Amino acid sequence: MKYLLLICALVAPLLAAPYQVEDIKFPAGVPPEVGAIDFAPDGTLFAVLRRGDVMRATPAKDVAKWEWELFATGFHNGCGIDAVSRDKVRVTQMADFTEATDTDKDGTADQYRIFASGWGLSGNYHETNTIADDGQGGYYIAIGTASHNGPTAEHTLGEYSKFGRRGRNFASVKWRGCTLHCDAKGNLTPFCYGFRMHNGIHRDSAGVLWCGDNQGDWRATTPLYHLEKGNFYGHPSALVWDESWPKDKDPLLTYRENLEAYNKHRTLPSVQVPHREMNRSAGEPYEIPANFPHFPGQMLLPDNNSKRITRIMLEKVNGKFQGACTHFLNGGGLRSGNHRIRFSPDGKQIYVGQTVRGWGKEAEGLQRITPLEAREPFDISAFKITPKGFKLTFTREPGAEILEKDLRFKSFTYQSKWTYGSPQENQKDHKITGLRKIGPKSIEVSLDQFKAGRVYQLDLEKLKSKDGSEIQNRLFYYTANEVPKS
Amino acid sequence: MRMLLLSLLGITTSFGDPLTFNTTPLGEKGGPIILRTFVPDPGLDPAVLTNHGKAFKSPKYNAGSGKDVKGEYKMMKVIPAAIAVNHGPALSYVWDTTECRLLYAWQGGFLDLYPYWGEEGRGGRRSFDYGSRLIGNLFYLAQPEKRAKPRFLGYDLSKSGVPTFCFQLGDQEFTEVILPGDEPLSFKIITDAKEKTIEGKLISKHQGFDRNLKIKSVSATAGEQVFGAYGCIACHSVDGSKGHGPSLKGLAGSTRPIEGGDPVLADSSYLKESLKVPNAKTAKGFPPGYMPPYQLQDKEIDSLVLYIQSLSK
Repeated sequence: MKYLLLICALVAPLLAAPYQVEDIKFPAGVPPEVGAIDFAPDGTLFAVLRRGDVMRATPAKDVAKWEWELFATGFHNGCGIDAVSRDKVRVTQMADFTEATDTDKDGTADQYRIFASGWGLSGNYHETNTIADDGQGGYYIAIGTASHNGPTAEHTLGEYSKFGRRGRNFASVKWRGCTLHCDAKGNLTPFCYGFRMHNGIHRDSAGVLWCGDNQGDWRATTPLYHLEKGNFYGHPSALVWDESWPKDKDPLLTYRENLEAYNKHRTLPSVQVPHREMNRSAGEPYEIPANFPHFPGQMLLPDNNSKRITRIMLEKVNGKFQGACTHFLNGGGLRSGNHRIRFSPDGKQIYVGQTVRGWGKEAEGLQRITPLEAREPFDISAFKITPKGFKLTFTREPGAEILEKDLRFKSFTYQSKWTYGSPQENQKDHKITGLRKIGPKSIEVSLDQFKAGRVYQLDLEKLKSKDGSEIQNRLFYYTANEVPKS
Repeated sequence: MRMLLLSLLGITTSFGDPLTFNTTPLGEKGGPIILRTFVPDPGLDPAVLTNHGKAFKSPKYNAGSGKDVKGEYKMMKVIPAAIAVNHGPALSYVWDTTECRLLYAWQGGFLDLYPYWGEEGRGGRRSFDYGSRLIGNLFYLAQPEKRAKPRFLGYDLSKSGVPTFCFQLGDQEFTEVILPGDEPLSFKIITDAKEKTIEGKLISKHQGFDRNLKIKSVSATAGEQVFGAYGCIACHSVDGSKGHGPSLKGLAGSTRPIEGGDPVLADSSYLKESLKVPNAKTAKGFPPGYMPPYQLQDKEIDSLVLYIQSLSK
C-alpha cells in the first residue's frame, strides 16, 4: 500500500487533467488484451482481443452498463480491425487479413474468408499487423517485424531471407517492416519500406497517411512518419523486400558502416517525439475530429509504454510536414499500454485500446476519455515555425504580457543508427533575439542561430491565463527539418 | 453443397463463451473451439510442408555491440499459420492454411498455451520456446503427397461451430470437414462430401507444458533458467544494450539512480526487492509501474539474484 501511494505520488501530474478517464470492463475472466478497436457505421464498437475473440457492444453512457457479446473467434493476435457493419468485420491477424461475417444474422460470425494474404510469418511472437482504410474500399497494412528476443520457426509462412534475419528487430519473411497497399479486392503491393514496428497507421481527413514507430534500433527516438509511396523510413531490415535493393547486399551491415549513405536514402520523421519526455513507444496516430471540443484537426499519438497520450501540431513547411508535440494527457487515470484510438461517432469522446500483452492489468484494457468542459484548457494550440523562430498561439489570453524570461529555447539533433535509441546531441541554448505580441493570444519569437535540421525544445514558465488558469503544458518540442524561406 | 454439409452436421448448441485466462481451453463434441496460434510440429515429415519457406540457423546478435557473436539461434518447431480445432476429449486436430490439409490429430485433450499466453497478472511468455504444447494422444500424422498448389480461401461454421474449410488445389475448389470418429483413435474426414474414416494408431503421448521449473538447489544456472522462462529478456538485456528496462549487465553491485529518490546500492536486498515488488523503486529513466510482480518462489528469486550477480563478474 505504501508503495502504491509512492508510485501515485511520482506519476501524478502537477495539474489536474482536464479529462475524465473511465474504464470499460470486459466480461469477468476475459483477458482485456485489446489488439484493436473500431466503430461500425451503426455505432457498435468492436474490439479484437489478442487471444482470438472479437467482442462487440453498443456503447452505453454508464460504463457499468456495457454488455459485450462474442461476435467472432479464432484470430491469432489480431491487431487491426475494420468494423464494416454490425455483421461484418475484417481483421489483420498474424498470418492474414480475414473477413468474418454473420450471414444468418444470429449474432455471431459464421463465414470466415481470406480478404488478403501474401505476407510472411516466421513464427516470431512480435509479428503483428494493423490497418488503415484507403478511402476506396481498400487498406494500408503495417506489417510488423520480428524481435531478436524470440526465435523463428523452422518452416515459415512465405519465403525466408537470410539478410532479413539480421540484427535486433528483423524482417526474415516477406514484407515484414513494410507498409502494403491492399486494394478493395485484396491484392497486395508494397507501398513503402523501413519500419521497425509501426504499431498503428492512420489516414487523416485530408487523405494523408501517418504512422508512428517504437524508439529502438534505427530509431533515435519515437517518430511520427508521413507515409508516401516508395520511400524508405530508416529501419534497414525491410530493404530485403524492396525490389530495388541488390539481392546480395546485407542492408543492416551496409548502413551500419555507412551512415552517410543511410541518411541520403531515408525519409526523416515529420516529428521526432523525445521518448523519455513525451512518448516511449508510439501507438496509432489519430486525427482529432472537428466535433471534439479540444484541438480539432491536431493529432493524438498514444504511448504504448507510459500513461500518456501525445498531442501533435502539424504544419507544412517547404512542401513537407513537420511540427510540434506536447502532452495531450499525462497520467490522470490513464493506463499504460495505449496503442489504438477511436473517437465516438459523435466525435466527443476518445476510446483508447491498451495492451502490452501479459504484463498484468496495468497495461491491458479499454478506456474512455471525456473532456470535463467544452472549453479548451489553457495551453499552446498552435506552434508554427517562421524564418527566424516561432509563432505561438495560446488557447486563451495570457494573464500578463509574456516576457523573455517566460520562455527558454534549446535545440539538439538526433542521428538514428543501429543502437537502441540515440542521445540528444549537439545541444545548444538559443537566446531570444526578439519577442513580439502579434494578437491577444499570439506571440512571435525570434531566436539566435536558428537553423533547420534540429529539434527545438521550449520550456515555459508557469504561465497563467487572464481568467487565472494555470498553463496545462510547459514542455514542447518542434522538429525543424525545414525552415521556411519567408 | 455447403448447405448439404450444414444439414448433415445438425444444429446443437450456440456459439461458445469467450476465451479466458485458462491456458488449456477445451471445446465440446458438438461445439468445437477454433484457435489460431503457433502450434507444435510433433514430428511431421518435412516433405509435408513443401509450401512453407525454410528458415536457417542464424548467428546470435549482440544488441549491445551491434555485432554477431558466437553461437546460433535455434529455430522453434512450430507451424506458423495453422488452425487448431478441438471437439473436447473426442478429437483435436491441426489443419494448415499454408498446405491446405490436415496435418495431425490427437485425442484426450487440446493445447496448453501456457508458454505463449502466460498467467493472469504476470504474463510470462517463454522467451525462445513459446509454441503451444499438445495434451493427449497423438494418433495421426499427415504423410507427403503430391498435390497441386494450395490456396486457402477460408472456412464456414455450422450452427454448432464446426468448420468447413474451403481451399483450392490448382484451379479446383474443395471443402473439407473433420469430425470425431466412432472408434477410439479415429476421425471422419469429409472432402467434397465424400466421407472417409481414418483410423490411426497411438504415436505419442503429450501432457502439455511442464510449467514447474525444477530447481533442485539455488544457483546462478537455475537463475538463468528462470530468466529465460519468464521472458525477462524482452525488457532486460544481459549484454548492456538498452531496452524497456535496465540491462542486467553490471547492475549488481553498482549504484543505481532512482526516480524521485536517492541513489541505492544494487546489493542482494535491492535485487530481491526489485523482483518481489518491482515498482517499489523505479530506475532512473524508466517508466514507473511498468514491470509486473511475477510472484516468484523464494528459490527462483534467490537463483535470479545469483544470476544477476554473475553478470557483474
